[in-house]
Amino acid sequence: MSDKAFLLDTTKCTGCRACQVACKQWNDLPGEQTDFFAGPELTNPRELSAITWNHVKFFPVDRSNPERPVWQIMHKKCYHCFDANCEKVCPERAISKIDGWVVVDQSKCIGCGACVNECVYKVPHLSVRDDKSYKCNGCMVNRREVPACAFACPTGALTYGPRPKMLEEAESRLRAYKGGSFPSASLYGKNEYDGMRMIVILKDSPDKFGVPVNPPRLEITKVEHSKDMYALLSLFTFGLKPLKRSAYRLSRSMSGLENGERIS
Amino acid sequence: MTNGWNDIAHADVVLVMGSNPAENHPISFKYVTRARENGGKLIVVDPRVTRSASVADLYAPIRPGADIAFLNGIINYLLQNDKIQREYVVEYTNASYLIDPAFGFHDGVFSGYDAGKKEYNRGSWKYQLDSKGIPKQDTTLQDPNCVYQLMKRHFSRYTPEKISAITGCPAETWGKVAELIASTHRPDRVMTIMYAMGTTQHTVGTQNIRAYAIIQLLLGNIGLAGGGIQALRGESNVQGSTDAGLLWHIIPGYNPAPLAQKHPNLKAYIEDTTPKTNDPKSINWWSNRPKYVVSMLKAWFGDAATRDNGFCYDWLPKASKPMPYIVVFEDMLAGKHKGAILMGTNPLVGGPNADRSAKALAKLDWLVCADLWETDTSVFWKQPGANSRAIQTEVFLLPMASSVEKEGSVSNSSRWAQWRYKAANPPGTAQSDLWFIDRLFVKLKALYQLDVKNGRTCAFPDPILKANWNYTHAGEEEPDVHAVAKEINGYAWANKKQLKNFTELKDDGTTACGNWIYSGSYTEEGNLMARRNGKDVGGMVGLYPGWSWSWPMNRRIIYNRASVKRNGEPWNPAKWVVKWTGSAWKGDVVDGGPTAGPSAKNPFIMNPEGVGKLFSSGLTDGPFPEHYEPTESPVRNLMSSRALNPAVKILDSVKNDFGTAAQFPYIGTSYRVTEHWQAGAMTRNLPWLTELVPSMFCEISVELAAQKGIQNGDRVRVMSKRGSIEARALVTERVKALRVNGRDVEMVGLIWHFGHGCAVSGDSCNTLTPSVGDANTNIPEFKAFLVDIRKA
Repeated sequence: MSDKAFLLDTTKCTGCRACQVACKQWNDLPGEQTDFFAGPELTNPRELSAITWNHVKFFPVDRSNPERPVWQIMHKKCYHCFDANCEKVCPERAISKIDGWVVVDQSKCIGCGACVNECVYKVPHLSVRDDKSYKCNGCMVNRREVPACAFACPTGALTYGPRPKMLEEAESRLRAYKGGSFPSASLYGKNEYDGMRMIVILKDSPDKFGVPVNPPRLEITKVEHSKDMYALLSLFTFGLKPLKRSAYRLSRSMSGLENGERIS
Repeated sequence: MTNGWNDIAHADVVLVMGSNPAENHPISFKYVTRARENGGKLIVVDPRVTRSASVADLYAPIRPGADIAFLNGIINYLLQNDKIQREYVVEYTNASYLIDPAFGFHDGVFSGYDAGKKEYNRGSWKYQLDSKGIPKQDTTLQDPNCVYQLMKRHFSRYTPEKISAITGCPAETWGKVAELIASTHRPDRVMTIMYAMGTTQHTVGTQNIRAYAIIQLLLGNIGLAGGGIQALRGESNVQGSTDAGLLWHIIPGYNPAPLAQKHPNLKAYIEDTTPKTNDPKSINWWSNRPKYVVSMLKAWFGDAATRDNGFCYDWLPKASKPMPYIVVFEDMLAGKHKGAILMGTNPLVGGPNADRSAKALAKLDWLVCADLWETDTSVFWKQPGANSRAIQTEVFLLPMASSVEKEGSVSNSSRWAQWRYKAANPPGTAQSDLWFIDRLFVKLKALYQLDVKNGRTCAFPDPILKANWNYTHAGEEEPDVHAVAKEINGYAWANKKQLKNFTELKDDGTTACGNWIYSGSYTEEGNLMARRNGKDVGGMVGLYPGWSWSWPMNRRIIYNRASVKRNGEPWNPAKWVVKWTGSAWKGDVVDGGPTAGPSAKNPFIMNPEGVGKLFSSGLTDGPFPEHYEPTESPVRNLMSSRALNPAVKILDSVKNDFGTAAQFPYIGTSYRVTEHWQAGAMTRNLPWLTELVPSMFCEISVELAAQKGIQNGDRVRVMSKRGSIEARALVTERVKALRVNGRDVEMVGLIWHFGHGCAVSGDSCNTLTPSVGDANTNIPEFKAFLVDIRKA
């Protein structure tokens, strides 16, 4: 069961969004109210949210080679970092790993938003409904053999299997693409944050598609400081989650860490 | 489809044209992707950069409605450069057949044209026959009247410069497409063509497909694994519905619908519709037509159907004029219909000229809409602009079971009839379609019986009272779908034993069969459609004979006889479909019966000549495809002085419904997106899908938007001669003006999923589209018309 990973090959993705819908169906997430398109081309909603854990973004098409237009379509969900900022920063240990997949336990979540702030990929989101953090859990909560998104993918752009095998496959495909159709193709998820469970083949360099190259590590001393501070302050919160939340946000400010806005 | 979905994986070249499978047939891309993984190349020809084009190896833009110019140019390229599979062409097509010297073509018109009737007399479109009545041939292909030489003359007019000027595709790009297609003329290289409504929904739709057929025959690609022509059907069981005769011109099993004037009795029908041949090499399968039609009549009318009464042929309705969709609605508008039953159809979204159709519906006394949800059509009386007070139509909305709430077969594009079981009960009072049809018939019959019993006169009661209709077992509520399936397969009348297949059918009333092409699907062995054995056979090209059942005869690739040489060896041994051992066939179920070998019989068994028709007299509008402009076009025809296909008939009642480029300067075209399903009643009620595409939108180029002061997301108004709608504008680089005959022509692309019912609504694109159809099928010209656009 453990040491599995997704392999996303964007050269095979046709943007059908079966993954986005299958995720909502399997996890029983509501549709979002949208108007026209919230992002470039057919992108809807604009980004991931507490009720959208799997999102497809369409980039503007590049027609510099008219016979071979490049239309990058980017499937996005939690990357499931080995060294996960969200897990490290959570003051209540609400974020942990199940079989290597980063999972939020909403029963422990106090809605402080630390994970929202520290994820460079902007994956976790706080829900307007219950102030708790939500994101992809790799189908570890409603368990299934193959996660819903990969199971629904018709083209084989998104596959799922043992991570070493996925990585080997990704590297061999990358070599072929670089020597052929996509000379600037790149691989993401091999080493970032000690490795990820989303391994992505991109048609070009990651920054072209809104994925940070060499993402920054957490300032661990500040995090530890804020956690110590919180341990102290939480003595006065009487176990009440809204008070705990305020206490942690205060601790973060005092430790020089940012607090983000809460969004749906 | 000649082949099947999974067979696309075996193609060396995949030509996607007039279709957008990545968006509208997403599962097909599993197999397109496999073909590419195996080194296959994907060509996408489309007016826009679609999601299919986003993964293409070669993308070529094309002006909507210019397909024949593009394709005739390819035919010319193959002929001029001798990139044809010559042995296949000589043996298996009519390239060598000699045509009547009276046949001719001048300035866009073939010989035999009657300008008054807008019809061709096809008398000169015929073969020269020898003393035995067999077509004369010149296998050297030198005779000036042989099909090959006629083609060389006809298609030579389509030069790269002309093609580019007409289609807007740069000549260089077109040339690369031609070269890649031509690479499959080698026996060991194969191309498949995937087409859909972008090909058919034109006034030259059928000729577009003819052009594909000609290309594939010249390349020797029909009958082979990874070859053929794939019609991508838009709905899960639309294949089954046409198989069952749900079109105006056919009855079940693709037999022609009887016509009032031509076919007054069974004898006349059979004589007129059963092809004859003197050629000993021709299997001429349609010579069996009498067996199929008589067995169908026996299934329908049972004991009442006897040889003496022509098996009750008289009871079949006979068309006194063509009755395609457009005519049905024109008649409705003229007050000729009292009522209508719409099952799983939503014409105010899916049909042309939607405002006009709404006026027609208002003329009905009653309307029954049977669907999963309230459809846009079922609320036509309260849509914006409707005067509800003035509309007297009584509308009934019947809730129906969805596909998972009933048992039965679904036939996919691969011709596989796949049996499905009922997974859940339908909600509330919803019923299956079969229940509704059965109950309707039974109630009607009871009413007729009552009239007869009380001595009241009732019109034409026999077909109802004497029909062989018995599908609901005593005490049961739901009709037995197996009883229906067994009748479709056919049985011996005397002992009611299920037949093995259609070779057992007779024209003497001893066999009954609802639909001959499905004979073999439900035999004494049981329900073969329910099989799920995934084991392959033969050349391991994914035939899977034990998986469900495919018509005809469980054959997976039709015209498979053409996949071998005359000596029985496969053209492409690495991916063989069938082979002849000298005494028997191996592999797929071979076309035309297992005993005749490839040297004895010709492979195209459904044609009386037994070979593929490069020249065909079967269509109303010409033996070869010829480019004409759409009914509404911004440019003149560069090929001839004929703007419109001469065989297209525009109804008098709508002749003033067409606009000019001076009033409406841009090309309008319609299409679908992955996120919505057809007329939208199934998807505009699902929040997961309306999240993705919540609004009616159109796509325009960045340049047109700038010229009109339109920003991405703005509300715009799109107008045609028929009406005007509001939409949101998606301003995108994926749409670009095309350089047509020296000037830029812009396009407004519109999705057609919206209407004024359902949870999420919007204006219907088909308010804009015209009531004019293809010269052969009358399918409406949805894909090329004229519009104007402005900021709303």
